[in-house]
Formats: sequence, structure tokens, C-alpha cells
Amino acid sequence: MNKPLRIALTKGRLEKDTVKLLESLGYDCTAVHEKGRKLILPVPDGNLEVVLAKAADVITYVEHGVCDMGVVGKDTLMEMNGKLFELVNLGFGKCKFALATKKDYPFYDGFGIKTIASKYPNVTKAFFEQKNMDVDIIKIEGSVELAPLLGLADGIVDIVETGTTLKENGLEVVEDVAQISARLIVNTVSLKMRQKEIETLVRKVEEKINAETNCM
Amino acid sequence: MRQYDLITPEGTKDYLFEDADLKRIVENQTRQLFKSMGYSRLITPGLEFYDVFHQNSLYFSQEELCKLTDNKGRLIVLRPDSTVPIARVVATRLKEAMLPLRLYYTQPVYHFAPSLKGRSTEIHQTGIELIGSASRMADIEVISAALSVLSSVGNTVNYSLELGNIQIFKELMLRLNATPSQKEEIRVLIEAKNYPALNDLLDKIGEHKITQALRKLPTLFGGEEVFDRACEIFRDSRITEILENMRDLYHTIRDMNPDGRITVDLGLVNKTDYYTGLVIKGYLEGYGEEVLSGGRYDKLLSEFGYDIPAVGMAVNVDAVANVLGKKHKPEQKAPDILISAAEGCEAHAVRKANQLRAKGLCVEHSLFSDPELSIEYARDRKIAKIILIAEDQIEELEVNLHE
Repeated sequence: MNKPLRIALTKGRLEKDTVKLLESLGYDCTAVHEKGRKLILPVPDGNLEVVLAKAADVITYVEHGVCDMGVVGKDTLMEMNGKLFELVNLGFGKCKFALATKKDYPFYDGFGIKTIASKYPNVTKAFFEQKNMDVDIIKIEGSVELAPLLGLADGIVDIVETGTTLKENGLEVVEDVAQISARLIVNTVSLKMRQKEIETLVRKVEEKINAETNCM
Repeated sequence: MRQYDLITPEGTKDYLFEDADLKRIVENQTRQLFKSMGYSRLITPGLEFYDVFHQNSLYFSQEELCKLTDNKGRLIVLRPDSTVPIARVVATRLKEAMLPLRLYYTQPVYHFAPSLKGRSTEIHQTGIELIGSASRMADIEVISAALSVLSSVGNTVNYSLELGNIQIFKELMLRLNATPSQKEEIRVLIEAKNYPALNDLLDKIGEHKITQALRKLPTLFGGEEVFDRACEIFRDSRITEILENMRDLYHTIRDMNPDGRITVDLGLVNKTDYYTGLVIKGYLEGYGEEVLSGGRYDKLLSEFGYDIPAVGMAVNVDAVANVLGKKHKPEQKAPDILISAAEGCEAHAVRKANQLRAKGLCVEHSLFSDPELSIEYARDRKIAKIILIAEDQIEELEVNLHE
């Protein structure tokens, strides 16, 4: 028997959605539900092995080939920019990157250099580079919404799901930066060395997703 | 000020004992292979003018080049690649030489890697360049060298050699009505096999024969069946001709190497590439990136004013050594003999050591004047035999290594 295919899942909501998807395809994910503190879990009937990791680490493990596949948000992919194949848009984990400021703040007015606070400095840099705009970027680790409220930044680039947090803090979206959803990523060598197994799984996943989108 | 005198820069490392041996094993094996195929060694400088790598058909990003200035303020780089400098040498000093030229090299290249990603800045490579022939046999020769390198490690792990042809993508791009930045975006998405985003972008450009073909391009990888699928998709005489040539090549290679896996990927479209046709990549199981890559670069030499075709490939020595090292560690062999000389007998000891070395033995001199300390040293160093040389006598002792 071959080594099982290793798939790294982003802990948390994407993990739950992916497990649901795998179960709907007929994989037995009992071990993942009863994981305790274990981080590597077998999916016996599918010859799969699930690895649980933080989003950025999913990319690192897949890029280095110690995991063959991974499920991770487009937000982290955009920030990290790894060398890998991004095969499927899984459709779940939907949200967007947006530029937000205090309500009615004239962000694009004037000639001064703007300051942007973000947890995603690379995404921010790429967005403003494409506008040929020089900005100062400040990396913030926690609630980015604070930065414009405290007067540290003119705006923020952050993930927006419903917009409630923004509204409650008197902020508003000025411009969308990018749409985000979960992606199935594959190591460049694994796809070639284990093409049949990976393609079979990918095809099943795609069929399932297409069926679901058609239902909606 | 912080002193960085006890560590090496990020992305570089010291190779000690086993690591150094593994690297040497891979380099020696490939060197012998290349020599036996009639290739001659070329050494180019570690430093080159930036301009060498700043040509129309080349792309090395600013971030990855290791730059410095010379004493006249001119921009210098640590070589990021060996093929381009070799093209420079051939187009200048070897312009009158008989063709084809068969050249090989074993030297590091330098790329600044993104921080904390576990990637190397200094990458040791060995490779060949077959310059001055556009023939099918030239392609086959380079591919056969690549296969020999892979199979020399591959008797312990699975390996796979992949063929592609950048010409198909270039032909499609010539016929596509899109802006250069859109074309670059398409290339990036095909390279990343990012099907969803590629489809979205092509939707914007419009639905016609070319965009339909581009949608399929990254999915065209696998075994021989790829050619049939591709022929159905690309109904174009120029592309069909390329595909038929590739299929012939694929058959020839499979015939000469029935054991290894030969695959095809028509979606290999890298950016740095000066490649104009055939591209190859080699993979070893257990290593997350390609361990060798190469291809045909028929326009590179013309950048230096000498318009001749060429084909070549480079092996990532560190990657191959890494895979090899997981399978077997080279033994650290102890010396065969320790020679301990009494004071005044040093000349005699050196003569004796040289005699023994000429017979192929590994001989060390003891640096202790006390024979007891020499014996203790031999035991620690696992040297099985000592020769004690004094004024009037020579004594040979077996050392009990199990005590």
C-alpha cells in the first residue's frame, strides 16, 4: 500500500467545512472529530491523512512537500505568495479584503502620503502598488479597526465578512480589494508524482461543489 | 553594534563531514557522467556585471539578485545562474570554436530567498550545455543525461522526468488579443495551475478558440494520453506539428528508459525562462521541488551577438544530496594508520607515511611525543594500527578498538 496522501487543513472553521465536504464524499472522518490534542489524523478508508495547522503553516507545509495538499483561505495565499498549485476554489469561507476608513473620511483627497494599518502588509502593498500610490504601511496584530479610530492610520486593509464590526466602530468600506474563499492547494511535485490519486480526489471535490452551486 | 562574527548569513550554511561528503558524491557522480559524454568543464567567475543578466529575453527580479558595486561604482551581481555566463563566454571567447560545444559546470548560484522559508541563497548546481545544434539528437542527449542523474539516486527512490514545450504557450499568446500585463497574468495563473482565477480572467477577455485552448493548457499533464487530448484542443497546424515532434521525443525517451516515469506537462511556463522550446524537469520522491530543470534556449546566445541554438540542464546538487542522505549516510572512514615519530625522526616518519599513502592508505601523523598519548588518540579516533618510529627501531602496533 502507498503512503497515504497528506492533506493539511486550516484549523477552525475551514477545517470543519472541509471535514463536512470530505464526509459528504464518503470519507470516514471519525478520527478528526475525536482528535483530542492530536495533530495528524488518519482517514482510513480514503488512504488520506489529515494534518491540522495554522493557515500560514498549511502553505509552508504544502510548499515544502511534507504535505501533498492543503485547504487554506485566499487571504493567506495572497499574503504569503508560495510556489504551489492552486487547483480548486472550494467556495466556502467566503469574505473579502476591503479598504475601510472612518465614515465620510476623504481618503483619496489631498497630496499627503496616506498611512494604512493592516494585518496583511503584502496584500496592502500590492493593492496600492497597482494604483501607483505610495503609502506607509503599519503592521497591526490585533483589532485593526482601532488604528484609524486612535488616529494612527488613515485607513485599514482587512478582512470583511458582514461589515458589522466596521459599522459598530464608525468605519465604512471605501473599496473592495479582493474576494476571498477557501482554496485547495497542491504541492508541485506531489501533483506529478501522485497524479491519479490527487486527480481522483480533486474531481470528486469539484463535482460536489458544482452540484451544490447548481442547487443554490 | 551587534557583531555577526559567529554565524553565517541567512540561506547559507557550512557543510561538515557527512554533508560535505554527500555533496562531493553527487558532484563526482555527475562530473564523471558528463565527462564520459564528452563534456568539458568550464568555470565562470562568481561575480558578473549586472548587465549580463539584464537582457531582453531574461528576467531576474531585483529582489532576488545579490548586488554589489565594483571599485568604479559599476553594478555587479553574484551569478544567479550559470547558463547565461556560459552563453557570454561562448559568444565571445569561443566564437571561433568548432560546434557543437559540450560544456559542463559545477558551481553555486545565488538568489536571495524570501525570509524564514527554509530556502537557500547559495545553491550548488551542476549542469551541462550543448551549444550549436538544434537537432533532435541534441535534445535526446541532454534528456538522457538528466535521466542518468535521476536514476543514479532513483534506484532507492521513485523519480520522474517531465517534458514540456514553452512554444505552445508562446504560439497561443501571439494569437491572443490582450495587453502585455494581461498576458503576464495569464502566464502566472497557468504556472500556478490556478484554474478558477484563470477562467475568470479569460471570461473577461472573451470566449473564442484561443481562450478555450488557454483554459485547457494547465490541465494538460500526465502520460501519453496528453498528446491525444492536446491535439483535439489545439486544431492548429503549427501547434500540431510541435505536439507531434514532442510525441516522437516522448516515445524515444520511453524506449531508452523503460523503468522511470516519463510525464508531460504542457503548462510549464516559468518566468525566468530564456527557454524557447523543449523544457524538462526532474523530480525525486521526498523532495518538494524539482531537483533538475532545463530546456532549449535558441535565442539566448544571440543576446550576446552569436546567433546559435543550444540546449542544457542543471541539477540542484543540494536537493539530490538531501534525498540521497535520507537513504544512506556516507561512512566517515577512520584513517588506516597513525605514525608516531620520536624526536629527530620526523623526516623518516614523513618518508614512511608518503610510501604508505602511495599504496592508497590513509595515514595520519601523531602530534604527541609520548607514545602512550598516541595510542590513546588512535583509540579515540578509531585508527586500528600505529607505527612507532624511533632512532633505532620501527615498531608496529595493533590498537584494540573495543576496549
